[in-house]
Amino acid sequence: MDTFLAALFSGTSRGAIYALVALGLVIVWRGAGILNYAQMGQAMFSTYIASTMITNGNSYWLAFVVAIVVGAVMGVLLDILVMRPLSNKKKTELLSSESMRAAIPVIASLGILGVLQALAGIIWAAEERGFPAPYAQEGFTVAGNVMPFTSFDVFVITVVLTTLALTTLFFKKTGVGLAMRATALNSEVARLSGIRTNFTRSLSWAFSGAASSLAGLLITPTSNLSPNTLDLVLIIGFTAAVVGGLDSPAGAVIGGFLVGMVISFVSFYGSPEDVFLAILAVLLLVLIIRPRGILGAKDARRV
Amino acid sequence: MRNRASLSRSPRSFISTAAVVLAGALALSAVPAQGASTPGVSATEIVLGMQLPQTGPASPGYNKVDDAMRAYFDYVNSKGGVYGRKITLVTKDDTYKAGLTVSTASALINKDKVFAMVGSIGTQTHISVIKDINRRGIPDLFVNSGYSGFYTDPKKYPTTFGGLGTYIVEAKILGKHIKENFAKNTVGIVYQTDDFGRNTVEGLATAGVTFTPKKTAATFIAGTQGSGLDAQMQQLKDNNVDVVVVGAVASAFAAAVASANKIGYKPAQWIVISVGADATTFQTILGARGIPAASSAGLLAGTISASHAPSPGEADDEFVKAFKKINDDFNKGPDKRWDNNILQGMNIGYLTTSALLGAGKDLTRPGIIKYIESNAAKLSSAALAPLGYSTKTHEAFTGFWIGKYDAATVLKPIDATRKVWTTDSAKGAVTELKYTRPAIAADALPKVG
Amino acid sequence: MRAVSKAKNRSIARKSLRRTIFFVILILLAGSTFEPYNQAQLALVLILFIGVLSVTLLTGISGQLSLGQGALMAVGGYCMALLMTNQGYSLWMAIPLAMVGSALAGLLLGISAARLSGPYLAGTTLVIALAIPTLANRFMSVLKGDEGLPVDVGYPPVWFTNLFGEPSYEEWQLYVALPFAAIALFFASNILLSRTGRMWRAIRDHETAASLSGVNFSRQKIFVFVVSATFAGLSGALYGLRGLVGPSVYPVSLSLLLLTAAVLGGIRSIFGAFIGTVIVVFLPDWIDAILHSFELSEQVSNFLPALVSSLLLILTVVINPAGVAGTHLHKHKHK
Repeated sequence: MDTFLAALFSGTSRGAIYALVALGLVIVWRGAGILNYAQMGQAMFSTYIASTMITNGNSYWLAFVVAIVVGAVMGVLLDILVMRPLSNKKKTELLSSESMRAAIPVIASLGILGVLQALAGIIWAAEERGFPAPYAQEGFTVAGNVMPFTSFDVFVITVVLTTLALTTLFFKKTGVGLAMRATALNSEVARLSGIRTNFTRSLSWAFSGAASSLAGLLITPTSNLSPNTLDLVLIIGFTAAVVGGLDSPAGAVIGGFLVGMVISFVSFYGSPEDVFLAILAVLLLVLIIRPRGILGAKDARRV
Repeated sequence: MRNRASLSRSPRSFISTAAVVLAGALALSAVPAQGASTPGVSATEIVLGMQLPQTGPASPGYNKVDDAMRAYFDYVNSKGGVYGRKITLVTKDDTYKAGLTVSTASALINKDKVFAMVGSIGTQTHISVIKDINRRGIPDLFVNSGYSGFYTDPKKYPTTFGGLGTYIVEAKILGKHIKENFAKNTVGIVYQTDDFGRNTVEGLATAGVTFTPKKTAATFIAGTQGSGLDAQMQQLKDNNVDVVVVGAVASAFAAAVASANKIGYKPAQWIVISVGADATTFQTILGARGIPAASSAGLLAGTISASHAPSPGEADDEFVKAFKKINDDFNKGPDKRWDNNILQGMNIGYLTTSALLGAGKDLTRPGIIKYIESNAAKLSSAALAPLGYSTKTHEAFTGFWIGKYDAATVLKPIDATRKVWTTDSAKGAVTELKYTRPAIAADALPKVG
Repeated sequence: MRAVSKAKNRSIARKSLRRTIFFVILILLAGSTFEPYNQAQLALVLILFIGVLSVTLLTGISGQLSLGQGALMAVGGYCMALLMTNQGYSLWMAIPLAMVGSALAGLLLGISAARLSGPYLAGTTLVIALAIPTLANRFMSVLKGDEGLPVDVGYPPVWFTNLFGEPSYEEWQLYVALPFAAIALFFASNILLSRTGRMWRAIRDHETAASLSGVNFSRQKIFVFVVSATFAGLSGALYGLRGLVGPSVYPVSLSLLLLTAAVLGGIRSIFGAFIGTVIVVFLPDWIDAILHSFELSEQVSNFLPALVSSLLLILTVVINPAGVAGTHLHKHKHK
């Protein structure tokens, strides 16, 4: 029973972060039709900036806010400098087919990931460092047993759920949010009906950048910070997004918690060697049984 | 038709362009020819090569060893070098990926024309090149790995010599201590599932300390400790383990302690294999997670570990004193904080210099191998155990002493006077060792009689 | 009709053969003038060239983006190493069998991936690249965990040394890789020129149209995977022969390296695959040669090759998505 509770708690707090990563992926996928593999590279970079600020004596919360803003700005820059010029090239021969239009941005985002990791190595050296948590990392006691669930985990889950609620409200209730949805559904029609599609696209990138920076800030206190530490988080986040449905923010959150649980239960009950295989199994299972994911729309583009 | 155009390009243009590209590749990476008879040795210089992870997940801590070695060589050079020859250390970053190690070895051998490899770090990566290095007769000195498979059969790897005591020897010695002192406790282990972790389990088993998989033995894939060891610690806690052996690197030891702390798991005793008992890495990682140095020192205090060398915290030790001074004056690396890794680097530097001096003015590859194999007694270092090199084995330090961390993160002998234990990498018994370490000279340079 | 197509096939085969012979002569000429270090680098180019061709065929020609070619390389490497160490097979026997093994892996992958495309396929193959090497620890007793299975090209046979004299180890590596690279080049060239290649391009360009015009769409897609996996497995086997077959030999970054090479050179052409491989293999040396005099700190110099190749990758896709070979092609057309 102890192990069960421990696995449950551990899965919840990890799952919350994977949900956030998946959310970031989903927003850009909806807004720009691109799966951004550089996302956790951006998060790593902004977390390093926060880490440097804290080491230099700034407060945690200032660093926290700066990192999120940097994440958003980085997202916009990527869109303007790389992704938008790419999508303007649709007419060239190489990008004339739909499959290549899907592949080329993925390759570009991998290049961006490489650049960010190399830059982080050059600027901050490759040594692993820790990253502080704003709240205690000592577990609560449940029925006389200390559980792997801390005040920091409560903070993580609160932040993630709030972010999700705000995102949903934003998409459903605000004019900009509705414009973004319209652009996602059909950018030609959206443009004809007067929506500034370039603006809404950039906004998706900003959103996603901020969300993933937040994920970086929340996950590094329980792992270590190095140029490569977040690679795995991206891969798990991708799995979560596919499980939930690539075009559904709510699905991303469900997928995140689900994958978090799977990983947690496999490592508590199975053996840790099997974690990656378990992730692969979950991914293949979903892709075979329900390729559009749990909450994915029926006509989701699966190019 | 558009596509056809691209395919019917004449082969001639393919070839001419490819030729230009290859010629360009050659021009830019051309290797200067060397005339010396023994590669890497000239009248004024000895070139040595080293491979290690300087970047990437496996690099923390280890990336300080090469800077310490270079610092010692620079010190030797400042004193006139070895028979007037300057020692140059060329290091290559293989990021702990064996595919890359093959390429960096080729660069060291063919491009930098090194005389010998020295102090290379990493078992898996070294496996990928050891055969080739040996086949070429290149001395493969003082490898920073405790994997006994490299050293116990000199016929297989005649040019390879160890630079650490083997994992098995250390585990057997710690196993004997556990058997004698914790017979009433439930002993468990958390280890990384690579050669290091498994050799540790093997050595402990030889000493009679065994574990039940999934119950008292928890495992993780080396390199994944970054995401925490919660599940592993919970498993040991659930199985009422009160003595935890850690067969893992320092960042994993820190992760294990952090996870145990998180779930309120307080084993009566932590026992850490020397590779993982690096106080600096431990405190750095916990410190950055918001655990101040005073608290992390408290978490480390009481932990049992073993060592072949003095603890870096033993300020009175003459070797520690001398090496620390050289580190302050000559280390140009990005992180020169004095710790186990720096001490080990200095020690390998000292040992290498002894071997180069001992091999004589007329330095050749077979010469230095022969010298090390037959003069182990003349070679010494900061280590408190002798070197085991002979024609039968190329294992380095054959002994370990057992200590406990005090509140100031210094490993102090567990017995009133320091006892050094010895054994072999097979099934032999663990016995006490009497060894008096030769003193270090006033100029901190090795003297070979 | 049939006679015409037969004649055409023959002319395609002749053309591919001409290319291959020129290629072999070029490599032999270059190899004989190179120093040992560059001979080893050239051997590495040949080995990775085969892997890059697997990307060219899969992604460039048939439009399916895989980030998991490294996992297929691992399959080839492990098959070969197990046959060599456990069964005592020579590498000339073990490598073809390893290719069969990786073709089977490709079949499995193809069947499960036939309905995926674009980012879905990319992500799934990335997870595969991550998960496959962990099998080495899962099946410890056979696959020997992190230590892996040491294998190498060994020594040349007596008839070889009698005919050509004793080659250096690097030369021998080169001579072992060359026939395989030549065969790979011949087949890739044949596929690209033939009706199969046209069908694969049809898959890429017009999925719907291709299925309407009678191309069995998903069967062809699976076939592409099998062929690509065979190339990758061959490359992985030769890559392992450099010293070790183990999880740290086939990391995720290897898959990304192949993709980078394919894109930089030109993802649609064999020539591009070769140029791209030369670039990624020699880039660290070029950077070193150019910046040697600047005394850069380790911290900077260790990351420079990764930084430069990633920047080149971005610049290529944004400015010149057709890669180096593409530029070449363009000029050619306007002549």
